[in-house]
Amino acid sequence: TVSVAPTSSGDGLRPETGSVHSAEAEVQTLSTAVSWTQTQPHDEAQELLLQPAADRLDPPGLKAFLQRVEDTVIRELDRNGRSHAFDEFQVNWEDQSQPVSCLHCLQHPSAQERGLHVTSVSWSCTGSVIACAFGRTDDGDWITEPSCVCTWNLDRRGLNPKQADLVIDVATAVTALCCHPQQPALIAGGLYSGEVVVWDTSRTQDPVLVQTGMSADSHREPVYQVAWVPLQKAGEFGVLSACSGGRVLLWTGDLNEGRFVLNAAYALVPQQVPHSSYVSFKARGSSTVGVTSLALSPWDPDTFLVGSEGGLLLRCSFSSQTPAAVPSEGHNVTLRAPAVFVFRPRSGPVHSIHCSPFHRNLFVSAGTDGRAHLHSLLQADPLLSLRVSDSSVFQVQWSPSRPLVFAAAAAQGEVHIFDLGRRSLRPAATIEQGGADQAATCLAFNSQNSHLLALGRTNGTVCIWQLSHDLTEQSPREISQLEQIANQVAA
Amino acid sequence: MAEVEETLKRIQSQNGVQGIIIINSEGIPIKTTLDNASTVQYAGLIHQLVMKARSTVRDIDPQNDLTFLRIRSKKNEIMIAPDKDYFLIVIQNPSD
Repeated sequence: TVSVAPTSSGDGLRPETGSVHSAEAEVQTLSTAVSWTQTQPHDEAQELLLQPAADRLDPPGLKAFLQRVEDTVIRELDRNGRSHAFDEFQVNWEDQSQPVSCLHCLQHPSAQERGLHVTSVSWSCTGSVIACAFGRTDDGDWITEPSCVCTWNLDRRGLNPKQADLVIDVATAVTALCCHPQQPALIAGGLYSGEVVVWDTSRTQDPVLVQTGMSADSHREPVYQVAWVPLQKAGEFGVLSACSGGRVLLWTGDLNEGRFVLNAAYALVPQQVPHSSYVSFKARGSSTVGVTSLALSPWDPDTFLVGSEGGLLLRCSFSSQTPAAVPSEGHNVTLRAPAVFVFRPRSGPVHSIHCSPFHRNLFVSAGTDGRAHLHSLLQADPLLSLRVSDSSVFQVQWSPSRPLVFAAAAAQGEVHIFDLGRRSLRPAATIEQGGADQAATCLAFNSQNSHLLALGRTNGTVCIWQLSHDLTEQSPREISQLEQIANQVAA
Repeated sequence: MAEVEETLKRIQSQNGVQGIIIINSEGIPIKTTLDNASTVQYAGLIHQLVMKARSTVRDIDPQNDLTFLRIRSKKNEIMIAPDKDYFLIVIQNPSD
């Protein structure tokens, strides 16, 4: 029933409403349906759609559609798999003008005034900071000259190429440098005096965090290479140092004392170099194998490679248990002979070795013979020897982004970038800057920003070069080409 | 149901095939061999692209129509067989 209540107003007037009509009617629902809605998270809705329920039928026409297209698609897939139409086809979306261009030329005026060379460069793990070690690369009375380590942050706005962001003064020449792979503030350095130091650049006061000091354990000869080595406990690193006295030492840092503790020690002596048909090493020569270069394998934590002043190239093992045939020098740790395999020796010092980040068996080495030798760990002879320069090659390093590319820095000042994918053995790009007074002593690729290459020279400058797209972007068949090269090992 | 699965298996067994997605005319995935997030991404983007490609072909010549679309990139190739109700998308890395 419907009714209307008459309204009343306050002014006493009687409302004029008509008579109310009413009628009766009945209503009853005949059929019912129940429906509900609920919002569901976006992902869930799609998940339901994509999981075919066992009892759900395929959408109509799907079978017919697939029958229609199957043959065409399979034919195209097959043809595409066999096609060579696009083999060498590459498109350049980036703007290419030159293969290499110089971005910055960094100098530390006080080091230059003292005639110091750049002995080593290393990028921080973040890729923003370049650390440069100064010292001398030739012999002389320079050992008593104080030198320094400078860092520049290239990502900072107010980058001043003539003024380093941080200068660490060091009492003697710095001969080796390596930034920590995980902690951007830590830098390990090796000195001409044989000391090994770790600096913490986040400290404002004294940046020296840990050092070996002049103890019975430490090196007595210049340390030509330092490297951070992962220890058994994840996240912990030790420092491996190699000196021209034939010692390779593994240090762990005691942060409370600020001193390094010797963890393992290896000594290389000529008598303990593995025999091979090449090496008719006369034991009566020098009594030590002076280490000039060291490389860790990113694939096998037990392997490391060593290059010597006499041209030896050795594969060594951290876990070797053979005691070294040297008189005990009061070390706390037994000296061990690590050499396991000897590669074809060179005629002069091996200045640089680097293991390929893309293939477990490949490494490249270079020295005074002016050539870069591509080796496999599996055989003594090199796979390939490329002529780099008429003068010594001081450093060689693989590109972090292109498996077939490596760069070599030569004593006459030129830096060549080689691409093994090219048919010609000539360099893909060259950084010229002539003159022996500007010898290129060290170089380092930036793993985070793979288009950057740092180059240190004897005139005390560090140049940051930018590489073109071609030299940094990996092409589709590179890894398999590298595999082919590595498989050329003689049976 | 079984025939559909078998057809997909045959296509999947071709050299270098990385994934197969079937979407309907609205761009909603019906079947897939990839993970859900990638499938949803491919479905949305490719549906738009096929519509654009089809209208390009028909604008140039109204008597013509799109039959097949292939996108070649540095890392792989995407092949799309379009139809009134469904699109078949196959991702292949030919050098595998």
